[in-house]
Amino acid sequence: MSHAERLYFIADFNIESLARYVANSALVGAETSVAPLGPVMSSLAAGPPSPGWSAVVWTRPDTVVENFRRALAFEPFNQDEALDEVRTYATAILQFASRARYVLLPTWVVAPFERGWGMLDWRPGIGITQLLARMNLALTDALRDHPSVFQLDAARWMAAAGPRGWSQKLWYATKSPFAPAVIEQAAADIAAAVDGIAGRGRRVVIVDLDDVLWGGLVGEVGWTGLNLGGHDHVGEAFADFQRGLKGLAARGVQLAIVSRNDEAAAFEAIDRHPEMQLRRDDFAAWRINWQDKAQNVADLLAELNLGPESAVFIDDSAIERGRVGEAIPGILVPDWPDDPTRFREALSSLRCFDSPTLTAEDRRRTTMFAAERARRSGLAAAANLEDWLQTLDVRMSVEPLSIGNLDRATQLFNKTNQMTIATRRLTRTELEAWAATPGHSMLTFRVADRFGDSGLTGIAGLRFEGGQAHLVDFLWSCRVAGRNVEDAMLHVAVARCRAQRASTLRVEVIPTARNKPCADFFERSGLGRVADNVFAWDASQPYRCPAWVTVTDHAGVVTESDVQS
Amino acid sequence: MMDHEQALRLVYETIDIVNQQLPASKRLHKSPNTVIIGPGGALDSLGVVTFVITLEDKVGEAVGASVQLLERDMLGDSSPLQTVGALTEFVAAQHP
Repeated sequence: MSHAERLYFIADFNIESLARYVANSALVGAETSVAPLGPVMSSLAAGPPSPGWSAVVWTRPDTVVENFRRALAFEPFNQDEALDEVRTYATAILQFASRARYVLLPTWVVAPFERGWGMLDWRPGIGITQLLARMNLALTDALRDHPSVFQLDAARWMAAAGPRGWSQKLWYATKSPFAPAVIEQAAADIAAAVDGIAGRGRRVVIVDLDDVLWGGLVGEVGWTGLNLGGHDHVGEAFADFQRGLKGLAARGVQLAIVSRNDEAAAFEAIDRHPEMQLRRDDFAAWRINWQDKAQNVADLLAELNLGPESAVFIDDSAIERGRVGEAIPGILVPDWPDDPTRFREALSSLRCFDSPTLTAEDRRRTTMFAAERARRSGLAAAANLEDWLQTLDVRMSVEPLSIGNLDRATQLFNKTNQMTIATRRLTRTELEAWAATPGHSMLTFRVADRFGDSGLTGIAGLRFEGGQAHLVDFLWSCRVAGRNVEDAMLHVAVARCRAQRASTLRVEVIPTARNKPCADFFERSGLGRVADNVFAWDASQPYRCPAWVTVTDHAGVVTESDVQS
Repeated sequence: MMDHEQALRLVYETIDIVNQQLPASKRLHKSPNTVIIGPGGALDSLGVVTFVITLEDKVGEAVGASVQLLERDMLGDSSPLQTVGALTEFVAAQHP
C-alpha cells in the first residue's frame, strides 16, 4: 500500500535507521526527513519542515531532564525539579504539535543493564526506575488533553527485542543504541499509529471455528466433545483466544464467522458449551456452510458493507488462508501458528486495530450488531421494503460539530471509504479548524430506531461562497445503510442552504475505488447532473425527507417550510 | 565451531535485517559477489556498522561466545568484509 504521509524525525540520538526503516519497509512511500542531530528543544522550536508534516519525537530522558542525568549518575537529584523539567519539555512538544498534523512520542527508556540502586530502585526520592516512571506519567498528564499527541510504548519494543535490543557498541559507533530488532518494533508501531489515524485500521475479524475457536471438529464430535476451557492447557488456550477476540470487540472491532460446517451444529456449540467466551450475539455476521470460503468471505463483507481492506481473516488451514488471500486482494490474512497455545499471542501481536480515539459508539458496537441482525431479520419477514422501513421508527438527530462529538466525528471521517463524496482525511484538530472557519458549516447526524441507537453515523460539511453552497463532505456509516438516512441528511443539508439563502447546493463526488455506493446515491437522488460526478439542487426548493425518518434538529437548520414541502 | 554453510546463512540473515532499511532498488542481494564495503556497495557508514554489529550478534549467538568483527582495519580497503563471499569465509575461518 502506498502512503503519502510525511514524517519528521526529531531525536537526541541518531534516528536515521528508524527513519529509513519507516520509509522503506513499514510505510513504503512515506516521505521522511530527519532533524539535525542536536538540541531537541531547538528542533521543536523550529517546528516541522512545512505544514502538513507529522513527527516522531524520541528523546533520551537523561538529555531532556538534567535531574534524571544526575540520578543516573548516582548524584543527588531533586524529583520535583525533574518533573518541572518534564513539564517544560511537554510545553515545547505542545507548541510543536500545534504546527504539525500529529506527534508520536515514544516513552522514555534506559538501557536494560542499568540496575540503578538495585533493591532500592523503586524507592521514592532515590530510585532511578521510580523516577523514570514518574517522569513518563508526568509527561502523559501534561499531554493528556492534546488529541494530536500520542505516546508510544518504547519499553514494550525493548522487551520484545530481548536483551540484545540495546547495544552499547552501536551507541558508541553510531550514536544510536537501538539494535535493528528495536527499530523494527518501533517502525511497526509507528506504522500502526499512522494507519489508525488515517482510518486504515481493520474493523472486522473473520474467524474459522474448528481448531480456531475450539479444539476438534464439532460436526464429528458434537459440542460436548470439543476441547475448550477446562483443565486442559490446549482447551484453556482456545478459551483464552476467545477472550482476546472478545476484548477486540470491546474496542469496537466486529467479529464474524466463516466456517465449513453444519450451521445448526456450530450454533449448538456456540449457544450451549459452558466454556464458550463468545456467544451468538458477539458476532456481527456469519457464513457457516460448505461453500467456498473466499466466496463466503466476500458475501459476508458485502453484508457488513465493509471492504476487504477492513478485514482480517483467521483460519488454521494454510490452504484456506492462501485461497482467501489470493481471491480477495486487500484482506489481511496473517500467518497463523499451528500451536493453539500461541493463538492469543498471535492475535494480540496484530498491529492493525489502532485508532486515535475510543468513542461511546465503539464501546456499544456489540449491542449494535445484535440490533442490526434483528433489523435484517425483520426485513426478510416484511412484505416490501417500504413497509419494513415504516416499522423501524427511524429518528435522526442533527447537531453541529462540537467538543462533545468531535472524537466520534473525526473517527467516522477517517474510517469511511464507501459512503463518502470526498474521502477527506483530517485529524481532530484539522476537522475542528475547518468547521470553525467562517462560511463553513459542519453538521453531524445521530440515528436511532426501535432496535437501538446507532450513534453518530453521518456528517455533512458545507461551504458557502458567492451565494452558492458546496457540499464539501457528505458521509454516512455503513451501519445505517438501507434506511435512507442519506436522503434525510441531504434534506437537512438543503435546509441549511435555504437558511443561509444560498441559491444552489452543488455537490461533487470525487470518485475512488471504494465510494461507488455514494456516487450511485447521488445519481438517483434527484439532484440535477451538471457534469461528470457533479450535481446541483435548486435550494429554493426543499429536498424531500423520507416519510419514515423523523428529524430532530438541535442545530437550528430545519424550518417548517423545509418539512411541509 | 562454524562451517561455511552456517556462516553464509548468518550473513544472509543479516542481509535480510539490513535490507529493511534500504530502498527496494538498493537492497543487498543474497549472493557471494554482493559488495558490502567499497565501490559499488549500497551501504553507507551507518549501514556498514549496523551490518557488522548485527552479524556479530548473530555469530556470537551461534558460537555461544562474544565475537568482535567491528575493528578499525575491518572497514578499510583491504577489509575481509568487502563481499558477502569474503565475509563468509572470514567468519567461518574465525570459528573453525
